[in-house]
Amino acid sequence: MIFTIFLKELIDTLRDRRTVLTMIIIPTFVLPVILSISSKISHNFEQEAAEKKLKIGLVGTPNELTNALENTPSSLGAKTIQYYSDSSKLITDLRNDSIQLGFYIPSNVSELKEKMMPIEVTVFHNGTDLGMQERADIYIDHIHNQWQKERFKQLKINESTIQPIVKNYSNIASDQEMIGKMIGGFLPYLFISFAFMGCMFPAIDLFTGERERGTIETLLTVPVPRWKILFGKMGVIVFSGLMASTFSFIGIFLSIEVFDFVENPDILAAIHAILTPAFIGMLYLLLFPLIVFFAGMMIVITVRAKTFKEAQSLLSPLNIVVLLPAMAGLFPGFELNGFTAMIPIVNIVLATKDLMAGTLEWQLVALAFGIMILLAVSAVFLSYKKFESESTLIA
Amino acid sequence: MIVVKNLSKSFDLSKKQQKEFGTKEKTVLAVDDVSFECQPGRVHALLGANGAGKTTTLRMLSTIFKPSKGTITINGIDVTKSPGEARSQIGFLTGSAGLYARLTPNELIDYFGKLYGVSKHLIDKRKNELFDLLDMHAFKDKRIGKLSTGMKQKVSICRTMIHDPQVVIFDEPTSGLDVITAENIIHLIQNCKNEGKTVIFSSHIMGEVDLLCDDITIIHKGKVLFNDTMEAFRNQMLAPNLTAEFIRIVQQETIN
Repeated sequence: MIFTIFLKELIDTLRDRRTVLTMIIIPTFVLPVILSISSKISHNFEQEAAEKKLKIGLVGTPNELTNALENTPSSLGAKTIQYYSDSSKLITDLRNDSIQLGFYIPSNVSELKEKMMPIEVTVFHNGTDLGMQERADIYIDHIHNQWQKERFKQLKINESTIQPIVKNYSNIASDQEMIGKMIGGFLPYLFISFAFMGCMFPAIDLFTGERERGTIETLLTVPVPRWKILFGKMGVIVFSGLMASTFSFIGIFLSIEVFDFVENPDILAAIHAILTPAFIGMLYLLLFPLIVFFAGMMIVITVRAKTFKEAQSLLSPLNIVVLLPAMAGLFPGFELNGFTAMIPIVNIVLATKDLMAGTLEWQLVALAFGIMILLAVSAVFLSYKKFESESTLIA
Repeated sequence: MIVVKNLSKSFDLSKKQQKEFGTKEKTVLAVDDVSFECQPGRVHALLGANGAGKTTTLRMLSTIFKPSKGTITINGIDVTKSPGEARSQIGFLTGSAGLYARLTPNELIDYFGKLYGVSKHLIDKRKNELFDLLDMHAFKDKRIGKLSTGMKQKVSICRTMIHDPQVVIFDEPTSGLDVITAENIIHLIQNCKNEGKTVIFSSHIMGEVDLLCDDITIIHKGKVLFNDTMEAFRNQMLAPNLTAEFIRIVQQETIN
C-alpha cells in the first residue's frame, strides 16, 4: 500500500510545474548555463585585463628609466606612454580612465643608478581597476631584474653567492587531492542546496496542500494505517530530493563535458578519475540520511501549516540554516575530524570533500554517517507523531 | 448499522485558541454524551447549527478522530478497536472535500479503489458502472482541475462508492452546489437507501431532510436535543414547518 501511495503522489508531484522546475529544469539546464556563462565572463575579464593596451602616464622628463619602461617587450603587455609635467593632472586623467597607470620617476635616475642607490618609483593606480597594480609590477620587476644583474656584474658578485637558501617546492599531493581540497566543498554545497529545494515543494504540496485543498480528510478515511500514508508521501519527498541532487550532478557533468567549464586538461583528467561509480555510490550513501532528515523536518513543519504561503514562509528560514553549514566545505583548512564529524550537514560536506580528495578516514565517515542516521530516524519519528496527531485536521 | 453510545469528544485548546474563543478553559467539549442508532435501508439525519458538533461526530464515525469517551460500532465493528476494518465499511462524502486536481477521474478512482483494497478487476467493473450511471465517460481522462463543479462532484461520488460501502456518511454534501449537481447527490442517497445501505445525512437544507430522511437526531452544543423517527418529529411539531420547528427546539434549549 505504501507503494500505491508513493506512485500516486509521485505522478501528482511530477505534474506540478514548480516541482519540475526546481527538481529538473534548474539543476539540469539552468545550472550549466549559469556556470558556463560565469566562467566565460571571468575568463574574458582576466584575458582582457592581461591583453589590454594600457595608457601609462609618466611624471618627469625622459630619462634612463622612462626609456627602459618604454622599451619593455610587448609580451609583457601592450602600452603607450604619455608624459606629464606634474602628478595632479596625471591623477585627474587616472580618475577619468584616460590613462590606466601612472609612474612618478625621480629626475636624477642616472645619478642614483651610477651611485648604485635605490631609485624610488611611485606607482599611481586605481584600486578598483582590477589587474592594473599587477601590470605595473610586471614592468617594474622586469627592469629591476635587468638592472640588478648589471649591478652584480659591476660589483663582480656571483649572484648565487648572495642567495644562501634556494627554495625548491615538491608537491606530493596528487591532482585528485588538490582538486578535492580546493574545490571539493563546492560539489556537496550544490548537492545539498538542490536536495533541500527538491524536497521543499513536494513537502508543502503533499501535506499543507492536502490540508488546504481538503483532500486529507478523505485520505484519512481509507482503511490504510496513517504510518503507511506518511511513508508513501515521505518516499516521494526523499525521491524528489535525491532527483534534484542527481539532476544537479548531471548539470555539472554537462557543464564540464558540453560547455567546457573546465578547460585545463590535467584538471579535467583528474575530475574524470574522481567520478567513478564507487564515488557516486558513496556520495548517495552520505546524502541519503541527510535528505531523509530534511523530509522528516519539513513534514513536521508543513503538516501544521494552514496555507501554502505559511508553509513556504516557515521553510525559507530553514533554507538559510541548512545552507550556512553546507558552506563549510568552501573554507580551506576546515577538515573532517572527531568534532566536525558530529555536526550535522557540516559532516556530510567535509566527508564528501575528503571523498573527492581520496583522503577519507573511515572511522570519521562512520561517525558522521551514524550521526546523520540518528537524526534521520529522529526526524521520521517526529513527523510520524505529528501526522498521527488529530491537529493535522484541526485548524 | 451504526450504534453510537455515550459518545464524547474534547479538544485541548492552545493559548491562541483560548484567546480566540475567549475562555480560560484548557479543553473544549465538542460532543457530549451523544447516543443514536442508524438502521440499514434508512436515512438518518444529523442536524445542528454551525459548531453544534455534527462534523466532529461524523469525523469520529469515519475514524478520523478518536472518541474521548463512549463507543461507536459499525456493522458490529468497534471503530476504536478496529479502525481499519471499520473504514472499509464506510463511504465518506463531504461538501468541503477537495480532489487531486492533477489526476484524472480514472486515475483517482483507481487510486482510491486500491486504497480500499478492491481488486483490479472489481475496480474496473465498479468504475464502469459508476461512470455509466453518472455519465462520466466524456471527461474521465481529463485532469480534475479542469472540470466544472458538477463534474467534480460526480468524481467525489464515484470515489465514495467505488468500494461499495455498506455505510455512507454525507456531511453537507450539497453545500455550495447548483441545483442540478445537488440533484445527483439526492439521487445517490435515495439509491443507497434502496440498496439497503445505512446512510447518515448532515445538512442545513430542511427540504432535503424532509425529502430523504427516515430518522432524525438534532445536536446542539454537543448534546442531543431530539432523537427519533421523522414521523415522530413531525407529530410533535409545534411550529408550522421543519425549519421553524428546528429553530424552535434549538432556541428553547438556549433559553433553558
